[in-house]
Amino acid sequence: MRIEEHPILSFDKGRKVNFIFDGKAYEGYEGEPIAAALHAAGILVLGHSHNKQRPRGFYCAIGNCSSCLMVVNGQPNVRVCTEKLQEGMVVETQVGKGDLR
Amino acid sequence: MLEKTGVATEQDLKNSIPSKERLAKGPVAVIECFQRIPCNPCHTSCKRGAIQPFADINDVPVINVEMCNGCGVCVSNCPGLSIVIIDETYSEQEALVKIPYEFLPLPEEGSFVTGLDREGKPVCRAKVVKVLNTKAMDRTPLVSLAVPKDLSMTVRFMKLNDIYSDNTFVCRCEELTMGELRELIRKGYNTVDEIKRISRAGMGPCQGRTCRQLIMQELAASTGSKMADMPMTTFRPPVKPIKLGTIAGGADHE
Amino acid sequence: MRTTELAIIGGGPAGLSAAISAASLGTKVTLINRDDDLGGQLIKQTHMFFGSQKQYASIRGIDIAGILIKELEKYQDNIEIMNDATVISMYEDGVFSVVQNEKYIKIKPQSTIIATGASEKFLTFPNNDLPGIYGAGAVQTLMNVHGVAPGKSVVMIGAGNIGLIVSYQLMQAGIQVKAIVDASPKIGGYLVHASKIRRMGIPIYTSHSIKYAHGTDHLEKVTLSRLDEKWQQIPGSEFDIETDVLCISVGLSPLTELLWQQGCEMRFVPELGGHVPVRNENLETSIKGVYVAGDVAGVEEASSAMVEGRLAGLNAAEALGHTSRDLEDKRKDCVEQLNSLRSGHVGEKILSGLSKVTV
Ligand SMILES: Cc1cc2nc3c(=O)[nH]c(=O)nc-3n(C[C@H](O)[C@H](O)[C@H](O)COP(=O)(O)OP(=O)(O)OC[C@H]3O[C@@H](n4cnc5c(N)ncnc54)[C@H](O)[C@@H]3O)c2cc1C
Ligand code: SF4
Ligand code: SF4
Ligand code: FES
Repeated sequence: MRIEEHPILSFDKGRKVNFIFDGKAYEGYEGEPIAAALHAAGILVLGHSHNKQRPRGFYCAIGNCSSCLMVVNGQPNVRVCTEKLQEGMVVETQVGKGDLR
Repeated sequence: MLEKTGVATEQDLKNSIPSKERLAKGPVAVIECFQRIPCNPCHTSCKRGAIQPFADINDVPVINVEMCNGCGVCVSNCPGLSIVIIDETYSEQEALVKIPYEFLPLPEEGSFVTGLDREGKPVCRAKVVKVLNTKAMDRTPLVSLAVPKDLSMTVRFMKLNDIYSDNTFVCRCEELTMGELRELIRKGYNTVDEIKRISRAGMGPCQGRTCRQLIMQELAASTGSKMADMPMTTFRPPVKPIKLGTIAGGADHE
Repeated sequence: MRTTELAIIGGGPAGLSAAISAASLGTKVTLINRDDDLGGQLIKQTHMFFGSQKQYASIRGIDIAGILIKELEKYQDNIEIMNDATVISMYEDGVFSVVQNEKYIKIKPQSTIIATGASEKFLTFPNNDLPGIYGAGAVQTLMNVHGVAPGKSVVMIGAGNIGLIVSYQLMQAGIQVKAIVDASPKIGGYLVHASKIRRMGIPIYTSHSIKYAHGTDHLEKVTLSRLDEKWQQIPGSEFDIETDVLCISVGLSPLTELLWQQGCEMRFVPELGGHVPVRNENLETSIKGVYVAGDVAGVEEASSAMVEGRLAGLNAAEALGHTSRDLEDKRKDCVEQLNSLRSGHVGEKILSGLSKVTV
């Protein structure tokens, strides 16, 4: 969910870009964190923990906690709360400790 | 209590409420800031020097109400949003309560909203008289609400939807709407008892637990009478009810 | 290896103020900041700040960041800014390495001011790892920096200033706050903030805590419980609130890794949020030429962080041989501001903490 109007802030969002998440097409804004774009699209579960398979979302949103690791453009263990979204990115949930599929 | 609930008690408020004489003279700032915190913009923003200088930045603000003209500058400069302007000279029946309101959408001038007390409980219908939002106020607009006079020290916030609109039910048991109640008051039924008798409101199974307060508030709002002065309703068995057009005459519950 | 006179690590109010005061005396400064933008916590703070005019009271945090950055630009000849750059390790000889754009850069400064701020504490309860449970800072970043709502409704844990203010900010963003919960019997944050929240009809449950979070893929419901005087959950007092977001705001602890790496003497001081460096009145740590300012030196407020930053900047610059005619006046002004900010009820705790680490 995007915040459309705000009494204090105005958000100057960048250009709209397309990206793929687990095979499906989504839209987001260029330069925003991948996690923000996913959250805005209603995707809260970014992966599952490697031992107990528990669902994982982001937690700190500033690159501290590593709760948000995903595979981005084939590269595993990317913290999507800080990684910036770009046109055509391919984002995938990570399986295990980030072995390439 | 305040430090447990966040809601000021009568004890806390005792010293912040201006005297009747001062209130009768015109608008004045009422400051509800009771804790020592490092903050002083209320003092520095008041061009009239009405808020006393702070010996220590942690001091609790002290206002000289005789020097305050209710200009409202301090309201939008207070980071705690703890100042309101009260104007009891607004009209015979109503007082203005000017509150800082940092939300969207802003209410429209002339519209009705719901007045809330310090706990966010609805207490009355309030008319939005003015919305001031200048550049100097830096996104802390001032909304002037006209409220029944004896609620001037009760209303401290608002919500946009007017829960006291004409099609709100005052009495769920007897299905009396606010619009119908207002019509009765216009026709001259000016006490709770009279309204009760004519509309049967308060005689349903809940025995007036939901509606009595609302009727009193509406009477206060429309006639200017004080809720405190209203005679308690008598609890007599119903006199012959007179049906109002839209009210279905339900079964006699008592 | 790059060299600089003074390295400042952290671009929040403390780091920015330190850079301004040191550069104003002619010191060559390198400011290293992990975020994309300068401002630290300020860039998320949409509310008006406390303090006095000198600390920009009544101006919104986001705008204070802008004011400081503008002031910094006056001295741009003396300042090199590295954004999106994280200091990852520090060595005892003062050299440290920075990662910027996947590049490692080694920097050898003559002096260093560490102003890395603080990080959020976590809370333990069953299912505390469900998606939908976020730190207050994360919620603020998501909604105030990126314009994305964290969810439809929120239960806030923590009635300190951060919990109260973030709740208010959530309401401003159009997200319903269902309750604020705090284990303490008293509201820890400023009561004016609490009153502001209550007027909107949001309950504050003091002496309450979270017992359980429910949900399969993400949070759906929380179970709260009342606490007795010994802060133990009272059996049978549980009740549920449906919510898709739980926001945790139970305090901050200083972000001190770099200080440990350098070998600064540290002490555990609960009043200041955890382990903090021992320092002298110049804000210099046990290691000569290494200064601290802001939340990393003890969790406090932006107002005091700015003044500490100015003070550390002046002292570091002076030790490097820079001076000005009004240096002594400026320093005195900083000390007076800090004393006055700390003279209230909240300051008592800070002062007691500081007395344990100031040598
Ligand atoms: C919700 C909320 C409301 C607040 N309200 C108020 C208020 O009304 N009034 C007030 O006075 N204060 C307020 N504060 C407190 C205030 O924001 C902080 O005390 C203040 O920001 C501390 O400043 P700082 O510079 O020490 O740290 P920060 O602002 O946290 O800045 C630290 C900076 O260092 C960077 N950093 C950290 N580690 C590294 C590294 N290894 N390498 C490079 N850079 C690094 C970080 O990215 C960050 O930019 C509030 C805080 C919050 C969260
Ligand atoms: S309302 Fe105006 S005159 Fe009165 S205290 Fe506030 S700023 Fe001063
Ligand atoms: S500005 Fe507001 S919060 Fe600050 S001391 Fe004055 S009344 Fe209290
Ligand atoms: S959410 Fe913590 S690192 Fe991304």
